[in-house]
Parts: sequence; C-alpha cells; structure tokens
Amino acid sequence: MIKKYLQPHEKKPITAISILAVIILGCLICDIFIPYDPTRMMLDQISQPPSGAHIFGTDTLGRDLFSVIWHGGRISITVGLLATLISTVIAVIYGTAAGLAGKKVDDLLMRFTEILLSIPQILMVIFIQAIWGDATVLSISVVIGITGWMAVAKMVRSEVKQLRNAGFVLAARTMGAGFFYILRKHLMPNFMSAIMFMIVTNIGSAIAMEATLSFMGLGLPTDIISWGSLMSLSQRAMLTGAWWMLLIPGIFLVVTLICITDIGEYLRTRNRRDKLM
Amino acid sequence: MQSNQTGKYIFKKAVQLVLSLLVLSIIVFFVSRLAPGDPLKAYYGETVERMSQEQLAAAEERLGLNDPLIIQYADWLSNAVKGDFGISYQYKQPAVDVIGQVFGNTAALAIISFILIFILGLLLAVFCVKREGKPIDKIICRIGVATNSIPEFFVALILILVFAVSLNILPQSGANSVGMSAASFGSSGGFVILTDRIIHLILPVSAIVISHLWYCTYLMRNKLSDEMSKDYILMLKVKGLSQNRIIYRHCLKNIMPACISIMAIFLPHLLGGAYVIEMVFSYPGLGRLGVESAQLHDYNMLMLVCLITGAMVITANIIAQIINEKLSPEMKEERGRLI
Repeated sequence: MIKKYLQPHEKKPITAISILAVIILGCLICDIFIPYDPTRMMLDQISQPPSGAHIFGTDTLGRDLFSVIWHGGRISITVGLLATLISTVIAVIYGTAAGLAGKKVDDLLMRFTEILLSIPQILMVIFIQAIWGDATVLSISVVIGITGWMAVAKMVRSEVKQLRNAGFVLAARTMGAGFFYILRKHLMPNFMSAIMFMIVTNIGSAIAMEATLSFMGLGLPTDIISWGSLMSLSQRAMLTGAWWMLLIPGIFLVVTLICITDIGEYLRTRNRRDKLM
Repeated sequence: MQSNQTGKYIFKKAVQLVLSLLVLSIIVFFVSRLAPGDPLKAYYGETVERMSQEQLAAAEERLGLNDPLIIQYADWLSNAVKGDFGISYQYKQPAVDVIGQVFGNTAALAIISFILIFILGLLLAVFCVKREGKPIDKIICRIGVATNSIPEFFVALILILVFAVSLNILPQSGANSVGMSAASFGSSGGFVILTDRIIHLILPVSAIVISHLWYCTYLMRNKLSDEMSKDYILMLKVKGLSQNRIIYRHCLKNIMPACISIMAIFLPHLLGGAYVIEMVFSYPGLGRLGVESAQLHDYNMLMLVCLITGAMVITANIIAQIINEKLSPEMKEERGRLI
C-alpha cells in the first residue's frame, strides 16, 4: 500500500495541458485565422454539412461553425473562470469563518451547507436562473458561483480546523490581527494547495453547467455564442440528421472538460502524496 | 439495541429530517419571492396584460400575494403542515395533485437507474480489482474520471442521434406513445402499456447510467482495492482461500458501508442528472415540472418540487447512516461521513 504512494512523481498530464493550451490560445487569437465573421448569418447557406468552404459546416442560422466555435469557447471558458472565482471566494470566507468559529456556530454553519448540498446543484441553477429571467454571461456566472461553493467550503473548514491552533495563527491573533489578515497571510498559503484540485474541477463543472443550461434554453440566448448555446440549436436540427451541429461543439466541450478533469485529478493525487510524505 | 433506544434514535433522525426540510423551505421560499417576476402571469396567462389595476389587486389579494413575506411564509407553513401545499398557479389545481400525476415517472426513472448503477458499479469494481494494474483496469479508471465531467445532456443527445434518429429503433421523447395515457398504467390492458413504457424508459435510463456508472465504479474500485491490501486479506490468502471467495465473502461485506455512503452521496448528482435527462427527452416528470414552474413563477409548485427533491436526498442520507451504523457498529457517531 505504501509502495503505491512512494512511486516516483506521477507524470504531469502533459497531453491534457497542451490540448487545453491549444484550445485556450485558439480562443484568444482566433480572429487571426477564422475565415468568416462569427456573427454573420449566411442565409443562403443554412445547415450545410462540412465541406471545403465550411470545414465544420454551418448551423441553422447560417453561421460558419469553424468561426463560431472559437468565439463560443471564449464565453464558455469565461463563464467557467468567473463562476469558479465567485464560488471560491465564498467558499474560502465561509469555510474559514466556520473553521475559526466556536463549536456551536460551526455546527450551525455546517448544517446549513449540508442542507444546501441536499439539492442537486443543477436544479438550483436552473431555478434561480429561470426566476431571474434573461441570462447574461455575468448572471449565469453568479448563479453557478453562488450554488457551487459548498463542497469547497467544507474542505476549507476542515483544513482551517487543523491550522487554527498552530503557533503562527495564535501569535497573529494575540497581536490583534484581523480575520482577513490571518486568512490572507497565514491560512490561505497553507490550505490553497489542498483545495486547488477542487477549484480546477469546479472550472470544468461550471463550463458543463453553463452548457447544460444554455442547451435547455434557460441560459445564454443563441446570439451570445457559447458551446452550450450552439448545441441548443442542434436538438431540432439533429432530427434531420445534421450531426455536425451537435458533435462538433460537443467534442470541443467534452475535450476541454476531460483535460480540466485530468489536471484536477493530477493535482489531487499530488496533494495526497505530499500529505503522506 | 434496546427498543427504547431504537425509538429514541429514530426520533432523533426524524427531527433532523424535519428541521432540514424546514430550513430548505425557508431558503426556497425567500429566494423565489425576492426575485423579480410576476406569478399572476402563470395564473392568468396572457390575459394578465389586459386586466385593470383593480382586478390585479383583487387577484393578488385572493392569492395572498400582497401580504408581507413573513406572513405569506407563515400561511404557507401552517397550510403545509395540514397537507395543503397550495394550488399551482399554472395548472389551477392543487400542486400535490399535479405532482402526483408525474411523480411515478420520475421515481421509475430514478430508481431503475440507481439500482442499475449500484449493481453494475459493484460488479465492474470487482472486475477491475481482480485485474488491478492491468490495462483494462487502467482504461476503466480513466473512463471513470473522464466521464464524470461529461454533461448528461450530451450523452443523451448522442444516444438519441444513434438510436432514435439514425437507427430509428427507440422512441426519442415522452413517457409513453401518443394515445396511451399514464393514468391507465397498471390497470386494465396492462401489458401493452407496460412494454410501451419500458421502451420509452430505455434511452433515458441508459443516458443516466452511462453518465454516472463509471465514476461510481471508480470510487468503489478504490475502496475495494484499499481493502484488498489490508493485512487480514494476506492472512486469508495464506489460508489458501480463492480470490473469488476472498472478494465476495470477506471484502464486499466490509466495504458495503462505504459503498452505501458513496451511493447516498451520489443521489443528488443522480437526481440532478435525471432532471436534465427529463428535459432532453421531454419526459413528463418532476424535473420538467420544476423548470416550467420556475420559468412561470409558479411558487407553490416550485416549492414542492424542491422540497420533494430535498426530502429524497436527506432521507437517503439518513437511511445510509442507519444502515451503516447497523452494519458496522464502530462507525457510530461518525455521521456517515466516509468519503
């Protein structure tokens, strides 16, 4: 059992990192190489299968899929990052507060997260977004962020519980340091590595969440291009056999998600090994 | 355990359930009411735009929508305790009745998928552990990690594309064919209707199972693998027991509490997945009802859908805790937090 953990450093997920880098870079600089304006709707070329003129075909609005897909990636990845930023900030503050608080407050705060965890996140996201009405990139990120912090908060709390009685924290407290000072200077540097894998995984699940929501017509409208909103056009088109509208954005989405999960998984195993050493 | 103690124990768990549901109802209530949006639109549809101010005020008064929020909540709660969860603004019948019509559909979908995932996951986990370190084991683990991140709706769409559009052998939407109502299910003419329903369940169930099975297998496999490297297994091997006997007679029994916890933790994901799948397949169930009522600000309905979902998850967690404590007494007081 111990041998399993003492193996030489598990190899870095180089393939995942490089594929992800290509996708992100492509999204950032896509204006250089895309052949068509992604917002241009060529109404005479609706639902064309992949061909020489349109490498990935066109969608039901007559947009060139190859051009659209890179722009869609921008929005999807932005939502993923923004939502994760929001959820991480909430989780770190909430988790630290629970970890530093007395037993009663801590129990109360943790019971609350457990109750929130009892509703599937996708359900909460759907409900809040549907109630709020028309989605924008910001609103969708906020909704995903405020519904996705509970698991990380639990982790932060258990880390803080182990750190709270450490000498340096006590010293800072006796010298009158404030909550955010201790959090920033003493606690965060110590627990960040432990929650890093969750943060990375959360980026992936936020992207997936946005895609699901947009796909169901509750998220971004089709004129804001994201991988999810591209796929929302595909469901009806699919019945006529237009597979490319589903498969091409889908493959981009899934490959990105798998790469992110891979990196997250690597961080998790590395973290576990560091602890055992 | 003495009967008195058991009674106390069950009482404690019941209090826990009720308190959780109470907090849940408060959260859902205030989140939904504080958001902008007009519930009258759900009740009157488009006619709401042609109504006069007085009519609108009267309607709000009648539905109790112009009281302060605290009073609205107190009203709701006092009625809910009596089993009256209000009327659905959209369907104009008691929300409980509307949900009653579709609850069976969601339950069928969720329970069948849950059982399939549990059994197949366990079998695959055993399969992997027997071949630990071999390529097939590594491949299954990789799939487990990778599929955990693939959105359910994509899996569902691929299944529709292959089996409903290209091969045209399975229906792509609904819970039964046109003309066969869900109400007559289980009564007269049962067999045809039953097969029809099963055919309609194949794709949704497969979509849920495919998107969750592998990760579940992965978690169970890791538990089993850890168990297999314990000292007592070595002793059993020395005694000359076969690998099958060790796994099925000794290991599985010992990891069962952990597996049950995994499944309990899995339930919210599975239910969330089921709701998305319902949307993709236009399958009449809780998920579709919930999304509809959220869009139309049908508060009472929304509340009930959330509460039912929460109740299912919390109950499952409590049941998992009880089973765990029965199966392995040393885990008591750990509140079932195993992974």
